Amino acid sequence: MTLILQAVLLLGLIGITVAIIFGKDLMISVVIYCAFSFLTMLLYNIMGAPDVAFTEAVIGVISTVFFIIILRSIDRKTK
Amino acid sequence: MRKTITVILLIISVLVPFMAFDVLPVIGDPQSAPNTHVSDYYIENAIEECNSPNMVTAVIVDYRAFDTMFETTVMFLAGLSVVIILANKPKRRIPAHSSLRRMKDAGGRPIYKTVNKDVMISVIEPVILIYAIYVLFHGEVSLGGGFQAGALIGMTYLLDIMVVKRDRPIFDIPKARAAAIAGFGPLIYALTGIVTILGGGLYLEYNKIPLPIHHAELHSIGITAVEIGVTIGVAGTIITILNALMERISFDDDND
Repeated sequence: MTLILQAVLLLGLIGITVAIIFGKDLMISVVIYCAFSFLTMLLYNIMGAPDVAFTEAVIGVISTVFFIIILRSIDRKTK
Repeated sequence: MRKTITVILLIISVLVPFMAFDVLPVIGDPQSAPNTHVSDYYIENAIEECNSPNMVTAVIVDYRAFDTMFETTVMFLAGLSVVIILANKPKRRIPAHSSLRRMKDAGGRPIYKTVNKDVMISVIEPVILIYAIYVLFHGEVSLGGGFQAGALIGMTYLLDIMVVKRDRPIFDIPKARAAAIAGFGPLIYALTGIVTILGGGLYLEYNKIPLPIHHAELHSIGITAVEIGVTIGVAGTIITILNALMERISFDDDND
């Protein structure tokens, strides 16, 4: 059961990464990146490292907001 | 083209760990190489020696206290280097792109479409701050510790600056002062070590703190003092980086 869950989460990570790379809108990429860090948090939790998972959850939010602040100064669409 | 290269590199970087899966030990395997040397000692003696039910905290700030001290210092230096890179004030602040301008109502005031700012300030921020304090002081028993508490405090400042007008934030921490606060964290950490030296022990040997109580409680006090240092360092670093970023970007509602 845990193994299946881990496999699903890992495949989800790969899918999210591809979605981030091919996103046309940088804002959407940033939000999907937040989902990436959420899935990583779940993985840490399954692997028995709740301390690391907690850190990952908080830092995921903070880095997302940093990205959004940067995005206010540049063009949102990718070329 | 660049994206294709990125995807190819991604596939390679996924496949290589998958090929190494056979060599890696099972998670939690007691016979694997990392678990046969010091792990047994930590599991057997951590609670008795450090008086900390959370063994992760015991390892991080007690057995590996020196390591954590320089980690905090590295984080402080990272914040400083961000400030140094972004420090030269641009002649003209970059205006926010038109797609990200805030909507305005008939009177010209910005409309906050996401979360009501009163709710954000009066409900969410106090809850996060209280949770940060809980995580800090309860960290040696349950989840969390200094790093998470500092990140939560930094997140409060961040929410505040995103919601309230830029020139009148609730927590008004200027750039230079934020960097100074970030430097105080490692200082508190290092001074804890000096106190243990004054008590006749080695650097960061908590059971030599000159207080007339049981040595396990001394460990607990030492861990808490060190974690307060880590918290202040992390919160200051996040606020420093945030201030340096906000300095360069102008918002259209700045002059409202």
